[in-house]
Amino acid sequence: MPEKDAILELKNVTKTFGGVVRALDDINISIRKNEIVGVVGENGAGKSTMMKILAGVFPPDSGKLFYKGKEVPFPKSPKEAAKRGVAIVYQEKGVVPCLKVYQFLFLGNEDRYTTAGKLQLQKMRDYAGKVLKEFKINCDIDDYMYDLPLSTQKMIEIARAIVSLRIEHGDGTEMVIILDEPTAPLTIEERQDLFKQILAMKDRVSFIFVSHIMNEVMEFTDRIHVLRDGKVVASYDMHEERISEEALFRVIVGKESIGTFQRKACDPSDTGEILMEAVDLTKTGAYYDVSFCVRKGECLGIFGPAGAGQNEILRTIAGLLPFDKGQLIISGKKAGAKEPPHVRLDRGVGYFSGETGKELFLNWSIAKNITILNIPKILHKFTRVISFKAEKRLAENIIESLRIKAPGPNAECYALSGGNKQKVSVGKWFERNPDLFLMEGPTIGIDVGAREDIYEATIQMKERGISMILVSDDPKEYSYLCDKIIYMKNGRVSDVLSVEEFNEVISI
Amino acid sequence: MKNRGLKQIASSIWKMLKDFPVVLILILFFVAFSVLFPDRFLSQMNFSSMMRQFVTLMLFAIGPSMMMTMGSLDLTYVGIWMLGGALVWFFTPIIGIAAILVVPLLGVVTGFLVGVIQAKAKIPSFILTLSIMFTYWGLTAMISGGYPRTVQAYGFITAKVIPGVPTALLWAIPILVAAIYLTKYTRFGTYLYAIGSNEEGAHLAGINVLKYKILAFTVSGLFIGLGSMILFQHMGGSVAVEMNLNTMNWPLVAIILGGTPLMGGSGGPQRTILGALTLTILVRGLNVAMLKPEAIQLLVGLMLIASILVGSRSANKGGLEVS
Repeated sequence: MPEKDAILELKNVTKTFGGVVRALDDINISIRKNEIVGVVGENGAGKSTMMKILAGVFPPDSGKLFYKGKEVPFPKSPKEAAKRGVAIVYQEKGVVPCLKVYQFLFLGNEDRYTTAGKLQLQKMRDYAGKVLKEFKINCDIDDYMYDLPLSTQKMIEIARAIVSLRIEHGDGTEMVIILDEPTAPLTIEERQDLFKQILAMKDRVSFIFVSHIMNEVMEFTDRIHVLRDGKVVASYDMHEERISEEALFRVIVGKESIGTFQRKACDPSDTGEILMEAVDLTKTGAYYDVSFCVRKGECLGIFGPAGAGQNEILRTIAGLLPFDKGQLIISGKKAGAKEPPHVRLDRGVGYFSGETGKELFLNWSIAKNITILNIPKILHKFTRVISFKAEKRLAENIIESLRIKAPGPNAECYALSGGNKQKVSVGKWFERNPDLFLMEGPTIGIDVGAREDIYEATIQMKERGISMILVSDDPKEYSYLCDKIIYMKNGRVSDVLSVEEFNEVISI
Repeated sequence: MKNRGLKQIASSIWKMLKDFPVVLILILFFVAFSVLFPDRFLSQMNFSSMMRQFVTLMLFAIGPSMMMTMGSLDLTYVGIWMLGGALVWFFTPIIGIAAILVVPLLGVVTGFLVGVIQAKAKIPSFILTLSIMFTYWGLTAMISGGYPRTVQAYGFITAKVIPGVPTALLWAIPILVAAIYLTKYTRFGTYLYAIGSNEEGAHLAGINVLKYKILAFTVSGLFIGLGSMILFQHMGGSVAVEMNLNTMNWPLVAIILGGTPLMGGSGGPQRTILGALTLTILVRGLNVAMLKPEAIQLLVGLMLIASILVGSRSANKGGLEVS
């Protein structure tokens, strides 16, 4: 039986991809009038699959959909989804920057404002003005989208979704807007603004709010569903019970161990030589007054709920993001705020992003991908010409020590599996031996076996005396690799923990 | 034993065809024209024309093919050749025979300029170098007063050394070897490919992308300048004031036909040799077939479209990653 006051209800929805992966497994979720429902989960938990089913991108394998209590077929296109009162605001690339605000608001629905092939500009502008006023969006209808702050752009996107539903349904309030990580590109301040405005809209529409920024979900939603491995593993009514951020985090991640990997003890001495030091480092909108130091051969973890600023700090050290205030001292020398990565590399800082698409030269051989950072090692002794023999030998070494499964050093990288690609990316740094190795999500989306190999490689690097900083979505990684963990909240350091203390907080 | 040797040869031929599919087209064209027009196509005169044509294509295309491995287009070559010629005409009476060195100098300066503007202002190299080409064309006409000017002093550049072989071809060899060496065996070349293959990745790996872009355009300018210096004499020792679109198009066709994808990341000058050969055979063959120039134009255009399609397909295989 469908729930009575639900606008939209998913019942027993299952979706598999390629007949193997269960992206969604028997999901039951409902959205009532005037509420914000949070959907949280790790990458790959099934959040986006669920959204795409609601938005009409693809249908599920089985299950039922109820709209206002009546069973309806699943939508086959975004237009059909709109008929069922659903519109979606995607995380990124939803804005057309070169349009004016009123043009963007009606994008795709111009036919409603066309007579005999001519747009009724005045009518569009009048209505656009009304919409901006209604949702208290602070901009002019003739502003260009690219001129507006990101949070305003996001609001206009939401307004646009509502406008398109109203064109379909009139001024009713029984409609659902799906927000896919709406705050991901925003700064901490902008997020607060956006949420104030979203809360003000609650009496007109309902929202499904997909995010992995925990404190937002807990603060602004009425109910929360936690997805893990395609199942709803927990649901909370925020008006009846308050759960702690840490408890929610534990439910999201789950407790299953990723394998048999054993942490190797390393001595967390406080006496080692300081390699890198951050003093009151600030990047407005991302992190504030962050101070810490990394000693030689030590692995520091910067941990926090998504969006707390840990990724930005790491990118700042890598030279990908300039800082506004404070000091960054690497090997005893002050580093400039706007130095690009190649200058940081000269200072001995290497950055590894877990996104293989970014890191690898996919149409290149493994050997070339590894030697790109190690060219001096493969130059001929006298002629200083690149020796392909040396290149091959070097690559063979890496293939062996990182257990890369590939036909040989000349195999092209696009043909490798995700885990092996990742190993090649790590391999070039493994060979390079930077003084400070920065890892951002080093094992995103790869299987257990490959993970262990990568952990082993990093520990070997640590044993060589390389210092490291880790930022990851997976708290277990911190307890495997780190000696000291900085806990971030809302862009500020809230605590410095030893591994034991960290394990206790996260309860691994 | 013999069987195994044959198998090995077959497999290496197969590998070559897979890596260089243009070889097949080259052979096809050559055989077809030889069979259709044995007298005219296989004549001594035609061979020497082919060599002249080939070397013209190559000397223009060496620098730009290095650029294309980086994913950038460098169309300045016609401009450098024309303006260089005009400057030689202008300076020879003043500083004598050393005036010819103005051409490589112009190449280097142009390349550096293009590199700096392109890297700092982030303008697509295609449109930037196209505008520079037009600018140089205009300058050429202004300097030469709008008339083709002939300069006599540089006949020694193309003086006969080996009978039947255009001397420009001999000049082209060291230039080509240097270019192949640079792209294949040096850090500079490796970084060109890296930027063409994945600019963000190169940046993340700590490569100074800006510096290498500027350097690449400068080096390309140098090669174009050296090539134009020889081509100045090779193409008659006179200043051209009218733009011939083929002079611009054909080297580009040779590069793409050779298998350097427009996106960059692979290919290079060594591949352009094959492309230039194939295009030469096609154009010369169509010439001896007595086709009208318009028809030749049309066929070369179609050839270019086809090779771009083939090239983009093989470049896409790297991008087929499912996330």
